[in-house]
Amino acid sequence: MDELDMLKKDWKKDDSRYPKLSYDDIYGMILKKSSSIVKWIFIISILEFVFWTGISFALKDADFNKKFESYNAENIMIPFLVLGYLILAYFFYMFFMNYRSISVTDNAKLLMENILKTRRTVKHYVAFNLIYLVVSAFLVLSIEFNKDETMIATINKAAADGELFKFYAVAILATTLVLVVCIGVFLVFYYLIYGLLLKRLNKNYKELKKLEV
Amino acid sequence: MDKELEHNFVELLEKHQNIVHKVCRLYTNNQDAHNDLFQEVTIQLWKAYPKFRGESKFSTWMYRVSLNTAITLYRKSKRTIDTQDFDAVQFKITSVPYDDTEEQQLKLLYKAVHQLNDIEKALVFLYLEDKNYNEISETLGITEVNARVKMNRVKTKLKTLLNP
Repeated sequence: MDELDMLKKDWKKDDSRYPKLSYDDIYGMILKKSSSIVKWIFIISILEFVFWTGISFALKDADFNKKFESYNAENIMIPFLVLGYLILAYFFYMFFMNYRSISVTDNAKLLMENILKTRRTVKHYVAFNLIYLVVSAFLVLSIEFNKDETMIATINKAAADGELFKFYAVAILATTLVLVVCIGVFLVFYYLIYGLLLKRLNKNYKELKKLEV
Repeated sequence: MDKELEHNFVELLEKHQNIVHKVCRLYTNNQDAHNDLFQEVTIQLWKAYPKFRGESKFSTWMYRVSLNTAITLYRKSKRTIDTQDFDAVQFKITSVPYDDTEEQQLKLLYKAVHQLNDIEKALVFLYLEDKNYNEISETLGITEVNARVKMNRVKTKLKTLLNP
C-alpha cells in the first residue's frame, strides 16, 4: 500500500478527534471582522491613493507653487494637472473593478490572479506618480531656467564666468539626486509592505504557474 | 443580513465543520493558528454565502472556500509558533492499538505532509477527501493532466521525506 493510501485510511477513520464547535461558537465567529490579505491590500491601496492625491493637493498650495504661477506657465501646467486627475480617476475605477472581481469561490489560481491584479493597478498608479514627479521636477526646473529672474541673473553670471555648463550640470545633478533618494525610500517602503503581505500568495501562485510549463 | 440566512448558514457550518477543521489541521501547527484559520474561513464562507446558489453541494463549496482561504487569503498571525509535534498531541492518531510500527509510521507521515508546500498540501487534502482529478483541477485552477503529474510528484516527495 502506498503512503498516501495508508494516510487516507487513518484520515477517514475517526471524525471525533476534531474539535466540535457549537452553534453559538460559530455564530460568534461570523460577527467578527476578516483579517485576510485582500482586506489589507484594500486598506493600503486606499491609503496610497489618498496619500498621492494629498501630495498633489499639498503641492498645489505650497508657496513655491504660488511663485510658480507668476511665471505664467499655465498653458503647460494646467493640461499637465488635468492629465494627472484623469489618470487618477482611471486608476481608481480600475482598482474598484478589480477589487470587485475578487471572489473566494473562484478557483485558487484565478483568485490569486485577481488579487495580484488589484495590487498591480496600485503599483502602476504609484509608478505613474513617481514618473509624474520626475517629469514635473524637470519641467519646473526648465521653466525656472527660462522665467525665474534670480535664476536668469545667476545663469548670466555663470555664462560671463564661463561656467555655464558647470552650473547646469550641478542643478540637474542635484535635482536628480534628490529624486533618486525620494524614489528609493518609496520603493523600499512599498517593497516591505507588499513583500510581507504577498509573500505567501506569490509563492503559491508561482507554484501553480510552474505546473503549466 | 436577515436572521434566517444567518441561522441556515450557522447550522450548515456546524454540521460540516470537520471539513474546515481538516484544512486547519493540514495548514497550521498549533492550536492558536488552528483557531485563527478556522475563524477566517468562517468569515469568508459567511461573506460568500449569500451568493451560494445550491448548484453544488454545500460541502463541495466549502472545500473551495476553505482551501482558498488557507492558501491565498490567510495571513499567519505573529503568535503562530511552529510546533512540529502538535499533530500528534492535538489529534490522537487512531491506529489499531499495540501496533507500534503503524502508529509510528503514521506520525512520520503526518509530519512529512506538514513539510509539503501549500499547493502540495491542497492536493493531498483533496486526495484524502476522495476528490477525483476533475474536482482537484477545478478547485486549484490547473488542468487535470497537471493535477495528475503534480500528485505523482507529491507522492515521490513524500517517499523521499520518509526515507531520506
